[in-house]
Amino acid sequence: MFGFIEKKPAMRKGYNDCSGCSLCLLVCPAWRQSRDISLTPHGHAKAMQHGISAADVAVSAKNCILCMACEPVCPEQIDIVGMILELRRQSGAPAWLHDLQAKMDERAARPATLPPSSPAMLLPDRALHAHPAILARISSLLGNDIIIPMGDDDGSDISLALESGAVISKQRMERFLESLRQLKKIIVADGLLLRHLRQWLPNVNTIGLGEALSGHADVRRGLRPTDLYVIEPRAYHTDYQRLVKYYDRLRIAHGCAFNLDLQRIAIPATSRSLPQRLGLMAIDNDEQARWVLHRRGISRIVVESMEDKTAIEKVSDVPVVHLAELVDDGHYV
Amino acid sequence: MNPETSDLALTEPGTIGPCHVGPAALLGIKRQQTNPARWNGQNWQEFAAALCDCGIEPRENIAACGTFVTDAGGTAYGLPHGVVIARNAAQISSLLKAAQQYRVPITVRGGGLTTEGESIAFGGVLLDMTGMSRVLHIDTDALTVRTEGGIFWHSLAEELRRHGMDYLSAPLNLTSSVGGTLGVGGIDVNSPRLGCSADQALALQVVTPTGEIVECSDTQNAELFQRVILGYGQFGVIAEATLKIRRYTPLRMHYFYYDSLRSAIEDLQMLDRNDASDYSGILTIMDCAVNLLVAFDTDEREADFKENWQQRLRGHGEFGFVLRMAMRYALRPWKLPEAWYLFQRKREIFPEFRRSEYMRDGLMFDRSVVFSRAVWKFWGSKQMVIPDLATSAEKFVEAVERGNQVCRKYFPRYTLYLVGIKLLPEHKPHYEMSCIPPDAEGWAYGCEFEPMMNDQVYSRDHLQSFKNAIYDIGVDLGGSYYRFGGMMKGYIRRMFGDEVVDHHLAMKRKADPAMILNRDVIF
Repeated sequence: MFGFIEKKPAMRKGYNDCSGCSLCLLVCPAWRQSRDISLTPHGHAKAMQHGISAADVAVSAKNCILCMACEPVCPEQIDIVGMILELRRQSGAPAWLHDLQAKMDERAARPATLPPSSPAMLLPDRALHAHPAILARISSLLGNDIIIPMGDDDGSDISLALESGAVISKQRMERFLESLRQLKKIIVADGLLLRHLRQWLPNVNTIGLGEALSGHADVRRGLRPTDLYVIEPRAYHTDYQRLVKYYDRLRIAHGCAFNLDLQRIAIPATSRSLPQRLGLMAIDNDEQARWVLHRRGISRIVVESMEDKTAIEKVSDVPVVHLAELVDDGHYV
Repeated sequence: MNPETSDLALTEPGTIGPCHVGPAALLGIKRQQTNPARWNGQNWQEFAAALCDCGIEPRENIAACGTFVTDAGGTAYGLPHGVVIARNAAQISSLLKAAQQYRVPITVRGGGLTTEGESIAFGGVLLDMTGMSRVLHIDTDALTVRTEGGIFWHSLAEELRRHGMDYLSAPLNLTSSVGGTLGVGGIDVNSPRLGCSADQALALQVVTPTGEIVECSDTQNAELFQRVILGYGQFGVIAEATLKIRRYTPLRMHYFYYDSLRSAIEDLQMLDRNDASDYSGILTIMDCAVNLLVAFDTDEREADFKENWQQRLRGHGEFGFVLRMAMRYALRPWKLPEAWYLFQRKREIFPEFRRSEYMRDGLMFDRSVVFSRAVWKFWGSKQMVIPDLATSAEKFVEAVERGNQVCRKYFPRYTLYLVGIKLLPEHKPHYEMSCIPPDAEGWAYGCEFEPMMNDQVYSRDHLQSFKNAIYDIGVDLGGSYYRFGGMMKGYIRRMFGDEVVDHHLAMKRKADPAMILNRDVIF
């Protein structure tokens, strides 16, 4: 009856507003692996409330895998990802990323690109570039009007800079965004880049690759009730309020299980931190992927992300396929 | 210095020692300690070195200690000298043995959801039990689970659900720990049928204050079991627990709305007496909108309720209640701000209980998630005081009505949460000096009085006065409390009497000669 009185969305808060409820622990893969609160958003926030510096939590902040699961469960709506990225920025980019700045400078100095020839663009991530056959299938599924950036300017350097706390120059940012502003739709495989593009380009329809593919009728028809569908967590948690209902509708329509916990948060299939993801640390673990699969009773695993596919294939004894592989030249696999 | 012959004097529990600044001040006036003084750190270095020899390295850096500077209440603050993350019973045993030898206080923390500073270390070691969060064995035939004590109930539920199982009864709070809950009670909306969470424990592995690792149950080392269950952490650390479980079922929820606390409580008790529902409880917006929630595990139970009991309830449906409220406030226009507040709260809260991703075919899935998320979202804040009263069924209406008047006096906005607890006769030994009132038979009833502080700043004096006013009602009526430790421990002797408290203190001294385990919580 009083629907005209719309409540404005609340502004995201800072670490000082953390009440210590620990809900972020329940969804944190770093906590699941270590059972060490100091590695969690709760630990960072409480320690910072107590006056410690960014340097004091630098190591633990770098162990965060930025799955972003903590943000939708935070009752105080704290900008936890922003807090982690800021801690990383303050503690300085790691020395092993010395060539990243040079790469960004080189890209910033390139001549301006021509306006895009189509209103929609796909920005692949590193893992997709490593699998050109899958990328070609995706491109085919999404249609002829989808373009893939010319050259290698897909924003992967910006994503890496965001994740590692490196400084992104204004020129590099402008060069990257100038052509994207003219698009109507961007499909992004990298969930961290997706989160930021939604903030930088609020007037462009920016969605994750998983949502784009799973919205395709042919792909949907390939889903089975005995599938475990593994949602890419970063994209999902970036737009949680909308996507939790989107995937619930997918569950109702196709009956497949999802990598969701009881809070309907996507369980990451890997708990590797940034240094591990880049192969700079030898330590790896399969426990997270095993937890995703634990007692699921499934015959196939369908993934949105090639990185998840690699992680799950190591521990799974059932087939693992990418969404794009559900349709093969018009035939369902 | 040999710690055994040290002249280090631990203050007599519950009292404040002589004032070093003005030794002649306050002579003859008996003072009870509420906010503990920080332990002075004597022998810490030797103690830490002894721990290192056992392979335990306490974290002493400011980031590690600062993480645990306060609890969910956010009104008491204290820093440990070091933090130890619990990893196994043997490690805890070594820690406690060294602590006895060097007389170093150990404060055990699970989810840290205390509100009176009970899980805050005022010096000494903070033992973070969440490091022990594994599920060890699930027996779907015997319907039991063996788990480590630091696990959050929600983490336990995540594991159980992969087996199609669920726990029986746990606090409506995802981050309560199993060990912490068994130590204080744990109330769920199915407690009117199943008792408190602590009643679901079948056996425990306990590390005693002197470091012995002991398996206990009602038939094995029963005395220790009785003291540790509802023992407020005084008689041991719960390293592992065997709990009853059940097959998972979603809920059939019903809500009835009242504008009278008395009517709602009487109806709640009528349902409990007649075993008319599987879940029941009352949640209010002040005393204006009183919501009796009733829920069922099966269609049969729900049908039986609808046929035999629903028509006896005096509550209204949502639409009928809105009409009554509209008429009530139309006749009292000076109360329109209150009406606006009710409307705003309804608009915020109700959708949270009906989120589509938790509802299927009219059934609520994962009630603890739905309720706990709502609790933290709408009732949580950096400062929380939640004084409570527990009484027998006969005294409950009066206790709630008097407590409600106190809330009205101290705060413009507040909420009440009321629930029954079925008492199990075979567990009577567990209940001594606990939240279960000594005179309760059949059921005990509890009410939490929680002011909505939002961003308002209140002095600690104001908050303490409010809590005292609520607790005075309990003393007057002869009830008990859920939160009687920490800053409220001054009420323990008033409530339970010297004889009972001295008896427990003597047992504590025997079990914990150096009085190091959770030393400022109760005594």
